[in-house]
Amino acid sequence: MNALYSLLAVLALVLAGFACGQGAPARMVLATFVPYAAFAALLIGFCWRVARWAFVPVPFHIPVTCGQQKSLVWIRFAKIDNPSTRWGVVSRMAAEILLFRSLFRNNRARLSGGRLILGESASLWLCSLAFHWTLLLIMLRHLRLFLEPVPAFVNALERLDGYFQIGVPPLYFSDVILVSAMTFLLFRRFRDPALRYLSLFSDYFALFLLLAIAVTGILMRYFTRVDILSVKQFALGLAAFRPGASQALSALFLCHLLLVCALAAYLPFSKLMHMSGVFLSPTRNLANNSRSQRHINPWNAPVKTHAYVEWEEEFRDKMQAAGIPLEIENETEDAGNARTN
Amino acid sequence: MPETLVQIELKPPHGDWRDSHVEFRKGSICYSAAPKNLTALGLPNPRAWQPLDKDWKLPPDWKRIILDGMKERLDKYRSFRLFMDICVRCGACADKCHFYLGSSDPKNMPVARAELMRSIYRRYFTLTGRIFGKLAGGRELTEDVIKEWFYYFYQCTECRRCSVFCPYGIDTAEITMMGRELLNLIGCNTNWVLEPAANCFRVGNHLGIQPHGFKDSLDFAADEAAEITGLDFHVPINRKGAEVLFVMPSADYFGTPHYYTLLGYLMLFREIGLDYTVSAYASEGGNFGLFSSHEMMKRLNAKIYEEAKRLGVKWILGGECGHMWRVLHQYMDTMNGPADFLGVPVSPLTGTVFENARSTKMVHICEFTADLIHHGKLKLDPRRNDRWIATYHDSCNPARAMGLLEEPRSILRAVCRNFHEMPENTIREQTFCCGSGAGLGTDENLEMRLRGGFPRANAVKYVKQKHGVNLLTCICAIDKATLPTLLEYWVPGVEVAGVHELVGNALVMTGEKERVADLRGEPFPAEAYAATTANEAGHA
Amino acid sequence: MSVSGAIAEIVAERWIERTLASYPAEAHALLCGETDPFRNPAGHAIKQSLTTLAHELLGEMEESAIATALDALVRLRAVQDFRPSDALRFIFDLRDVVVEVIGAPPQALEIRIDEMALMAFDQYMACRDQIAGLREKELRLRMQCAAK
Repeated sequence: MNALYSLLAVLALVLAGFACGQGAPARMVLATFVPYAAFAALLIGFCWRVARWAFVPVPFHIPVTCGQQKSLVWIRFAKIDNPSTRWGVVSRMAAEILLFRSLFRNNRARLSGGRLILGESASLWLCSLAFHWTLLLIMLRHLRLFLEPVPAFVNALERLDGYFQIGVPPLYFSDVILVSAMTFLLFRRFRDPALRYLSLFSDYFALFLLLAIAVTGILMRYFTRVDILSVKQFALGLAAFRPGASQALSALFLCHLLLVCALAAYLPFSKLMHMSGVFLSPTRNLANNSRSQRHINPWNAPVKTHAYVEWEEEFRDKMQAAGIPLEIENETEDAGNARTN
Repeated sequence: MPETLVQIELKPPHGDWRDSHVEFRKGSICYSAAPKNLTALGLPNPRAWQPLDKDWKLPPDWKRIILDGMKERLDKYRSFRLFMDICVRCGACADKCHFYLGSSDPKNMPVARAELMRSIYRRYFTLTGRIFGKLAGGRELTEDVIKEWFYYFYQCTECRRCSVFCPYGIDTAEITMMGRELLNLIGCNTNWVLEPAANCFRVGNHLGIQPHGFKDSLDFAADEAAEITGLDFHVPINRKGAEVLFVMPSADYFGTPHYYTLLGYLMLFREIGLDYTVSAYASEGGNFGLFSSHEMMKRLNAKIYEEAKRLGVKWILGGECGHMWRVLHQYMDTMNGPADFLGVPVSPLTGTVFENARSTKMVHICEFTADLIHHGKLKLDPRRNDRWIATYHDSCNPARAMGLLEEPRSILRAVCRNFHEMPENTIREQTFCCGSGAGLGTDENLEMRLRGGFPRANAVKYVKQKHGVNLLTCICAIDKATLPTLLEYWVPGVEVAGVHELVGNALVMTGEKERVADLRGEPFPAEAYAATTANEAGHA
Repeated sequence: MSVSGAIAEIVAERWIERTLASYPAEAHALLCGETDPFRNPAGHAIKQSLTTLAHELLGEMEESAIATALDALVRLRAVQDFRPSDALRFIFDLRDVVVEVIGAPPQALEIRIDEMALMAFDQYMACRDQIAGLREKELRLRMQCAAK
C-alpha cells in the first residue's frame, strides 16, 4: 500500500511537470518561482534540522566499541573501530561515511575454493555504496550547467565517466550504475517480506522520486536530446537570479526540474536527512576515552542519593555488633550513654 | 477428498506493524514491580497490577505524561532525537538481534522495536506526521501502544549488537532506555529491576544483604579460601587508608558460580599482598538503575565515589561484571565525578600506570590481572585447569561499550591449556547476548530468555561438538547467574565460570599447602597434581 | 522400506518449506535463505533436523539419530510462541508431503510417522517439564539467597 501511494505521488509529480510544459503561465511559475522556493525550503529546512540536533546536548559518552580498547601498552588496540583519539574518530567517521564500514560488517564474506564469495547481504552494502557515490558524481557533473567557464575537475569527471565512449552521446557509467543500484534497492524492499513489513511511504517515495529524476534525465540526454544550450542558459540565469523560461525548454526538462525541486523541498522533512545526521551520531563520533577524560553533561541534574551518614545511622547497631568500623563511633557511644543515664 | 479438508496452517504476515495488540503470556514476561519498591524509590503510580491484567490502572493523564516526557528527553539527549530521525529502514540490523533469531517475532527486529517509539515521535513531534498521520508513518498513542512498549522494551537486553551493524550507529539500547524511562513515569516497571534497585539504594546491594550479613558472607569465603590453601585470609571491610577500594557485583558473594570467582579474587589479592578494602556501603558494583532510568543509575552509582572519598583510598578496582562496567566506563565520571580526590591508578606490583583510567580512576580486574601476568608477577600452573576445555563468552557491555576483548583472553591463555574460540561472528564485538541482561533474567521470564539465549547456546553447542568444550567462561554476573540455566536446557554438559575462578585454580600461592582440589572442590587432574608436588619439591 | 536418497531429499525440502511456513512471513527470508548457522540458528536447526528425520524415516530408521534430530527441533519449538498442537504439527505435515512426492504412503511409513509423533510428544513434555524444573530451581536459589 505504501509503495503504491508513493508511486502515485511521484507519477502525479511527473504529470504535473508535463502539464506545466504546456501552458506559458505554468512554465513561468515552474521555471522562475518553484526552483527558488524549493531551494529556500532545502536551505532553511536543512539548517533547521541540523540545528535541532546540534543544540541538543550529548549528556553521556556512549560510543559503540567495535574492537579492542586502548588499555595496556602491550595489547594492540583497534585504532579505527575503537578510537581513543580525535584522529581515530576522524578515521572511523571517514570509513563510515565514505565506505559504509558498519554496513560492510553485515557481509558474509568468505573464501571458498580460493575465491572470495560475498553473500546476498553484500549486495546491500555494494549497491548502497554505488548508489551514493554515483549520485554524488552526477550532481558534480551537473555543475557544468551552473558554472561558466566549466571547472576543470568537472570536465575531468565527465571524461572519466564516459571513458569508454560507447554510443553518441557517450554513455555515462554513473547513469547505468545509479539506476541499477536504485532498482536493486527498490526490488529488495519489495522482495524481502521483513523489509516490506518495515518500509514506510517515505522509504518508497524517496526511491521512486530519485528514480524518476534519473529516468527523466537519461531520457533527455540519450533519447530526446534536450537543447543543452538553452538549459545552460536557463541554469546560469537561475544561478545569477535572472530566471527566464525560454521556449526552447522541453516539457521533459520541466518535468525533471519539478522533480528535483520536489526532492529538494522534501529532503529536510524526510529520512534523507541521514546525510547530515550520520556526522552527529554519538555512538560513532566519540572516542572511547570516557575513563581517561571526563565527559561533561551540561544538565547533570542533582538526584536524591542515600548518603553514607544516613546509611550508617540505619545500620549502626548491626555494624557495631559485627565489628565493622564506623565513621562516627564516639558520638554513638556518648548518645548511648546519654540514653541509658 | 479428505486431503483437501486438512488445512495447513499458514501464519499470515503480521501485516502492519502499527497494529499494537500484543498477547501477554505467562512464562515470557516479567511481573510488575511491587508498590513497596516504587514507594521506597519515590517513583510515581505505585499500585498492585500485572501485565496480564486488562486494566493497567494508568494515571488518568498518562498520555500527557508520556508526551511531555518524550519532549523533555528529545531536548536532553541528542542520541534520542537523532535516532528518532535518521533511520532509513535498510534492514541491516534486522537479523542481528538474538531475540529475533530465537523467536522469529518480527517486532523483535531492532528497527521494528525502534519504530514502536518512532511512530509516536512522528505522529506527535514532526510536521509531516502531524499533517499526514499514518501516511507519514505515525500512529496514535493508545493504551495498547503502552502495553506493546512494555512487552517489547522488556524484550531488549540493551546489548547493542544491532548498533555495530547500523550505518548510522543507531543504538537500540538507547531507545529501549528511553522507552523504559517513559514507562517508569506512569508506573509501568518490572519487579526484577526495581526490587534490586530499591535494595541497592537503601541497603547497598541488590539482595538487601545488610552490613553484618555482608561481613558474614565474606568471612565465609575467606574461611573457605583458607581451607583450600592452608593460608590465613582476612577480607578488610570499610577500612580507611587502604590503597584500593574493591567493588564487585553483589552476586559474587551470594550467587553460584560467582562465588568461585570471589575466591579467585581473594586468593589473588592475598598472593600479591594488595592493600585493599571492600565496602559494605558500596557493596554493589552492579547498577539496575541502568535498566530503569538515567536518574536511578546516578542515584545508585553515587555511592562508589562517595565511599572512595570517605575511605581515603587512592584508586578503585572493579570486579567481573558486565552492565556494571557499562556504567563505570561510560557514565560514572560524567554523572558523579570528577574524582579528583583519587590518584591515577598504578599497579603496586608492576608499576604500570593505567592511563586509560586516568580520569575515572577505576580499573577493571581483568586489566589488572592481565598486567600482573604479563609482567610475570604470578606463579601459575595452568595444568590445574586441565579438566576444563574452555571457551570465552564476550559479555555484551565489556565488549561493545569498552572493547575489553584481549585482556580476559590473555589471562585465560595463561591459566588454562585448553581454550577454543567460538565462531568469529558470535564473539568479540559481534558477541551474542545471554538473553537475560538488562533486567530480564528472572525465572518468570524463562521462556523468553531461552529464546534470546538460543543463538549464544547454538555457538556453544558448536564448539562443544567440535572441541569438546565443557566450560563457558565469562566476566559478567548476569551471565554467571543465567547462563547455567540456559546451557542446561540447550547444551547440557557445559558449565559456566568466571575468568578469575580459573585464575584462582591455577594460582600457585606462596606457602600454600598441597592443593588437591580446585575451587569447586573437584580434584585436580592427576598430572597437574603430580607436577605441582614436583614443583614444590624443586623449589624447596 | 527403501526409498532413494534423492526422493528423501525432495521430501525433506518440501517438509522444511511447510514447517517454516508456521513462522511469521517476515522471518521467512532469513529462516529459509540464510545458510550461516550462526546468523540463522533457528532455520539451521530446523533444516538439519528435518533433513535427518526425512532420511531416517524413509530409510534406516535408526532410533538414536531420530531421537537426536527430533530433540533439537522439539526443544526449539517448545520455547517458541506456539500452542503445543502447533509446535508438533510439523510431524503430521510429513504425511501430506509424502503424498505429494511419492503418492499414498505405505502402511509401514504411516506407522513410523505415528511412532515419531509419539516420541515427539514425549520430548515436548520433557522439555516443558525441564523448563518448569529450571524455573523452580532458579526460584529456589533466589529464595535461599534471600534467606541468607
